[in-house]
Amino acid sequence: MKGLDSRALRRRNESAWLVPADGRDVNHRLRADMRTFDDDDEVDLVIVGCGAGGSTLLQRLARRGWRVVALDAGPFWDPEQDWVSDEAGSHHLYWEEPRVISGADPVPLGSNNSGRGVGGSMVHFAGYTPRFHPSDFRTRSEDGVGADWPITYADLRSFYEEIEGELPVAGEHWPWGDPHGYPHSPHPVSGNGEVFLRGAHALGIDARVGPVAIANGRFGHRAHCIYRGFCLQGCKVNAKASPLITHVPDALSRGAEVRADSMVTRVQVDDRSGLATGVHFLRRGRQRFQRARLVAVAGYSIETPRLLLNSASARFPHGLCNDYDQVGRYLMVQGAPQTAGRFGTEVRMWKGPPPEVSTEAFYETDPTKPYKRGFSIQTVSPLPITWAEHVSAQGHFGDDLRRYMSDYPHWACLGALCEFLPRADNRVTLDSEQDRHGMPVAHFAYSQGDNDRMLMKAAREVMECILRAAGADEVITIDRFAHLVGGARMATDASQGVVDRSCRTFAVPNLFITDGSVLPTQGSANPALTIMALAARAADLLARGARSGQPPTRKP
Amino acid sequence: MSASSSGQPKLPLSVDHGGGRYPGLDTLGQSSHWDMATTGVVAPRVGIPVGLRFFTQREEAVACALTDQLLGQHEDPRVPVVRMIDSRLAEGQGDGWHHVDMPPDDLAWRNSLAALEEDACSRLGAPFADCSWPEQEASLRAIQRWRGAWHGMPAQSVWSLWTRYADTAFYAHPWAWDEIGFGGPAYPRGYKHLGLDAREPWEVKDIRPTLDPLRLRENP
Ligand SMILES: Cc1cc2nc3c(=O)[nH]c(=O)nc-3n(C[C@H](O)[C@H](O)[C@H](O)COP(=O)(O)OP(=O)(O)OC[C@H]3O[C@@H](n4cnc5c(N)ncnc54)[C@H](O)[C@@H]3O)c2cc1C
Ligand code: SF4
Repeated sequence: MKGLDSRALRRRNESAWLVPADGRDVNHRLRADMRTFDDDDEVDLVIVGCGAGGSTLLQRLARRGWRVVALDAGPFWDPEQDWVSDEAGSHHLYWEEPRVISGADPVPLGSNNSGRGVGGSMVHFAGYTPRFHPSDFRTRSEDGVGADWPITYADLRSFYEEIEGELPVAGEHWPWGDPHGYPHSPHPVSGNGEVFLRGAHALGIDARVGPVAIANGRFGHRAHCIYRGFCLQGCKVNAKASPLITHVPDALSRGAEVRADSMVTRVQVDDRSGLATGVHFLRRGRQRFQRARLVAVAGYSIETPRLLLNSASARFPHGLCNDYDQVGRYLMVQGAPQTAGRFGTEVRMWKGPPPEVSTEAFYETDPTKPYKRGFSIQTVSPLPITWAEHVSAQGHFGDDLRRYMSDYPHWACLGALCEFLPRADNRVTLDSEQDRHGMPVAHFAYSQGDNDRMLMKAAREVMECILRAAGADEVITIDRFAHLVGGARMATDASQGVVDRSCRTFAVPNLFITDGSVLPTQGSANPALTIMALAARAADLLARGARSGQPPTRKP
Repeated sequence: MSASSSGQPKLPLSVDHGGGRYPGLDTLGQSSHWDMATTGVVAPRVGIPVGLRFFTQREEAVACALTDQLLGQHEDPRVPVVRMIDSRLAEGQGDGWHHVDMPPDDLAWRNSLAALEEDACSRLGAPFADCSWPEQEASLRAIQRWRGAWHGMPAQSVWSLWTRYADTAFYAHPWAWDEIGFGGPAYPRGYKHLGLDAREPWEVKDIRPTLDPLRLRENP
């Protein structure tokens, strides 16, 4: 990164320089000295959830001098003590509170989908950080499917660039969508990446190294990647980005509070003024209430709709912001089939970060195909337990399973992300089952459409071809699903969605949603970068529009 | 029974089934290169398992026979998978979701073990654990292939519950890692030799690289 860019970046977000220079993971001083607010202090903004969207909003507004608190249901992680270089030992990174799934194609949740604790799901995300394509914002006009966003790609471009600098992102020049470069150069690839590049090359498919949120080279005081392959278990090294190291340190240094182990159970709205007044939360067994002038919800695509639905009042009998029955709807997952190929040589796919190489050559609608929209393909490298699930899914058990598993070093694995289309009936509702706090659990119903199924099949065929072209003598595929987004989507008016183009809810003028829930479509890109860019944009609008801490005036 | 240099037993597995492909690989023997937090969660897996807290003794018998089948554990030493599953269920450490037509995981385990026992007693005239290996295997295959309800639960969901928990317990164990060539935890050392056929000095090359599962299936 050039000296000038680096100075500008540091002026915007100093997090990487706030990590201690002695090679330790956490700036304990920053946490010990953290400003704390009283429940009775009316803070400028309280944020529910300190993940991708919540942390970005927190950091941006703390920088503008706002008095902000972010509550997170999970812990304030100390990577050295709390995270392990082990698959089964990392279950505590995931949201394990009960949820119910149903529909024609129910989507398993848990480890596969969402996180908890400061840093959110990005603590254990793989680390791919592609941008959406300009076409993603206009799929209804361009392809007659999905929905148009109330904003365009151009509205997000500068925020993409900012966040890419802050994570930072490493990769080759990116020729797809809006072509762009990355601040850090591409990482060397492991056996799995080599297989992908070789197979793609043989078929004339353009595949490139990146884009991954893993610093390559000097970046503040953060350490370099040691290629140990446990990105999905939380990066103990501080090489892979998560808001815990990319945005929270700067926020704390600017006077924000991060209140961990605080489960928010309701957003309080004053039925007379129609404004949000704060949030009810549980901490150390006690019911508490944090007053705030503005509230932002960023609890992930399942918990955000659940919280709104659980915040019903006389004014909002069917759930907060749910006058038009939009809350929880249009929840999306990406079809994420994984295809593995067997090679005579040893691949040892678990070595090196799972995210290495990707192609977006199949991202856009191909008029010669019977389906709309497309898919991307990326390296994925399942560790033993996940790999065993792969093998078991082929029906193997007993001796047969053991024999397959003993062959582990010979397998390479690719994953696709298929753009499943939004459907109104794919949604979160409240179940009759309750969690240990007595709060109804989320019920998530999901069914695929014909276009979705065609995409899964097409992606699988391309992955099989790539692996065979690289020399695989056997290929197996498992159907998986990844990346939930939507559920409180952004729209042009209240009958179509929950928030407007600035992430403000239509129903409550001082209530915002700043996480993946607001996405109207999902493209075939991994969502975290877009979620952060959207939150950064929402923060920018808030800071410019309202004088620090002043509630906005109600629109007529 | 053979043992590795760190004194860890090797799991019994015939050469035909992939045993002995990585001679001398001793994951636990690398533990001096691990960080404390990781050693703290991995090392206890080879220690004396904690007592049962969730399963009753009768459930334990069915669960042991079931998981022996699922994981091909014919004889000792075995990975104590039932103890590991029991701990998860006792601690309410589920997967964080369940199908609408399935009870939560703990109840689903109890109900499915009872159902397995009931089937064995009524059809084979003996408790599941006392049935012969081929009898047990045949009943499990029937459930695996069944498309529909089995004792009020979708057979496919039951199968997925069993294999998920069994795979997670077994492949969390260092002895299983030795068998599949996986090096285990890699922090703070990391990897320096990336790429096809590249190995760290302490990694062990597969001595039977042609033991391709596909070829084996064609001419067993
Ligand atoms: C295994 C895996 C791999 C992934 N890989 C990638 C990848 O490579 N690239 C990519 O872009 N994306 C990836 N993702 C997805 C990505 O991490 C998420 O899409 C993203 O983090 C979602 O951001 P969010 O702000 O919506 O929610 P999150 O980041 O999940 O943050 C939500 C936070 O809210 C908290 N919370 C929820 N409810 C409450 C409540 N009631 N009270 C208080 N706190 C609450 C949670 O504890 C959590 O910390 C991956 C996800 C998984 C599971
Ligand atoms: S491979 Fe690199 S980025 Fe991933 S967890 Fe290890 S050190 Fe972190």
